[in-house]
Amino acid sequence: MRRTGPGSNLLAYALAALVMVHAGYLLPRMLPGDFVSAIYSSSHVTLSAAQEQELRSYYTAQDGFGRYLKDLVTLEWGYSYAFLSPISRLILQALPWTLLLMGSAHVLSMIAGFLAGVEAAWRRGSAAEKSGVGIMTVLQGIPEIGTGVILLMVFAFYLGWFPAVGGETAYAELSGLARFTDILKHLALPFTTLFLAYFPGNFLLTRASMVMILKKQYLETARAKGLPSVRVRYAHAARNALLPMVTRFGLRIAFMVTGALVIETIYSYPGLGTLLFNAISQRDLPLVQGIVLFSSLAILLINIALESAYGFLDPRVRHAS
Amino acid sequence: MHLNFKTRLLRDPWFVSGGAVSAFILIFLLLSPVLVVHDPHDMAFTPFSPPSAEHWLGVNDGGMDIFSELLAGMKNTLYFGLFTGLVCLVIGSGAGLFSAWFRGIPDLVIMRLSDVLLAVPAVMILILLAAFFRPTPLYLALILAALSWPTIAKVVRAQTLAVKTGLHIHASRQMGASGLYIIRTHLMPELYPLYLIGFASKARMAMFMEVSLSFLGLLDPGRKSLGMMINYALRYYYLDIWWNWLLPPVVCLTLLIMGVTFLALSLEKVFDPRLKEIM
Repeated sequence: MRRTGPGSNLLAYALAALVMVHAGYLLPRMLPGDFVSAIYSSSHVTLSAAQEQELRSYYTAQDGFGRYLKDLVTLEWGYSYAFLSPISRLILQALPWTLLLMGSAHVLSMIAGFLAGVEAAWRRGSAAEKSGVGIMTVLQGIPEIGTGVILLMVFAFYLGWFPAVGGETAYAELSGLARFTDILKHLALPFTTLFLAYFPGNFLLTRASMVMILKKQYLETARAKGLPSVRVRYAHAARNALLPMVTRFGLRIAFMVTGALVIETIYSYPGLGTLLFNAISQRDLPLVQGIVLFSSLAILLINIALESAYGFLDPRVRHAS
Repeated sequence: MHLNFKTRLLRDPWFVSGGAVSAFILIFLLLSPVLVVHDPHDMAFTPFSPPSAEHWLGVNDGGMDIFSELLAGMKNTLYFGLFTGLVCLVIGSGAGLFSAWFRGIPDLVIMRLSDVLLAVPAVMILILLAAFFRPTPLYLALILAALSWPTIAKVVRAQTLAVKTGLHIHASRQMGASGLYIIRTHLMPELYPLYLIGFASKARMAMFMEVSLSFLGLLDPGRKSLGMMINYALRYYYLDIWWNWLLPPVVCLTLLIMGVTFLALSLEKVFDPRLKEIM
């Protein structure tokens, strides 16, 4: 992987953001004919004549790109006719759930994968390490849809240990600790699915980088100084394995979002993925467009944040630029 | 040297298991004209009938034979993956070779373009296009390939730059070989492990995308797909249909993805000299 200094890729991200925003502006205006009635005719949503007119004018307005940008910044993302609610409100309602699910899955799988990878590389050649690598490689070949469906069938349907749908029990009006455990219970299955999808990659990559690092001479020096092995492992070696993991995260985030969309839909988790699924099946185009644009910009922002984290994680990157 | 790679591949358990799984799926699909007796679109049967001698996996809610649906869906998913992988490979290796050979401004333009494309989340563009334009899977595959070639281009470019300085290239240029001749006879064959690795990883990505998009209901509902089958079967998971309707597409999808993953992994392991010490 080419390592460029922070900031050099900012231009690429800015251009990518422009591409996404412009695609959202341009695509509906490129559609031929009266697409509003064409698309809503196959939807469950029936529009009144006034609503249809409004939607048509929303898409054919010749206000120009500047106006579109201004609306974007001021959260004026249009109105959803399927949910009878402003799009920005729908998205902001769903966002915390997605952040909870994806955030916890990513953070925990990264920490666990990193620690397990470091320890596995340290015990290289042992039976535990070999079987760990084997199991993780097999797990890496299983797509999220597969794990999600199987976990749903076994733990929600047959054993009944965990709820199958939603983010919390509807109308239960729980508060305090009861609500917290309720949310955790609903989170368990989708979280486990995503954790199983992300953990093997983090583990295998950390282990591979650590094996290379452990051969370096400065580690021999550290050991020769008589430092405790935990200190050699983490303070001297493992820090160098952090950067590849962050790079991989940035490269794969768009791919991982796809899996999360599907998992949220399988468990009807009330996040952005399920919202998008519902919007698609109701042919609610303004909402689809809003979610797509919002998530792409969020992905780009995460990438930019990671880019600036490089310098923080690795002083060599900071001093090189 | 090639023989050496071949024996090392055949000794690698991941290659053997990945190859076995893929071969099994291929044979299964090649036999489908014999195995499938019903048209997967035929809605003439009793909905929700359990598996029988006539309907090996039963009949779905719309009165269609699940086994024929399964084979048709697998075929569609596989073709989508292979086609996208191939297009990605052609664009990516072409762009990589081109920019490494000519350097200068073409190199700069291609590499900046791939930086931008790498930053664009491809799935979001696909969702947007699929929701608005309802393109055929062929167009979707082409768009996906047009968005995801840069990783191959970057790898091919780096390797070409390394090979380009080799003495055999200088020698053949000394003897008056044209650029095209050198690229064709010296550079392209030397990069072949990269093609295999790139193709396998892109095909895997594309199959995953196809299944996800069809699961989300973005592809033509008349076209059979594993993702769509899983979506429909999930609506009835509380009935006793999970083992004959829900499980088969999940298992087939997992086998498909697993086979390609193992093959890609093993190719990378055998051909990338840096990985030799790790595994």
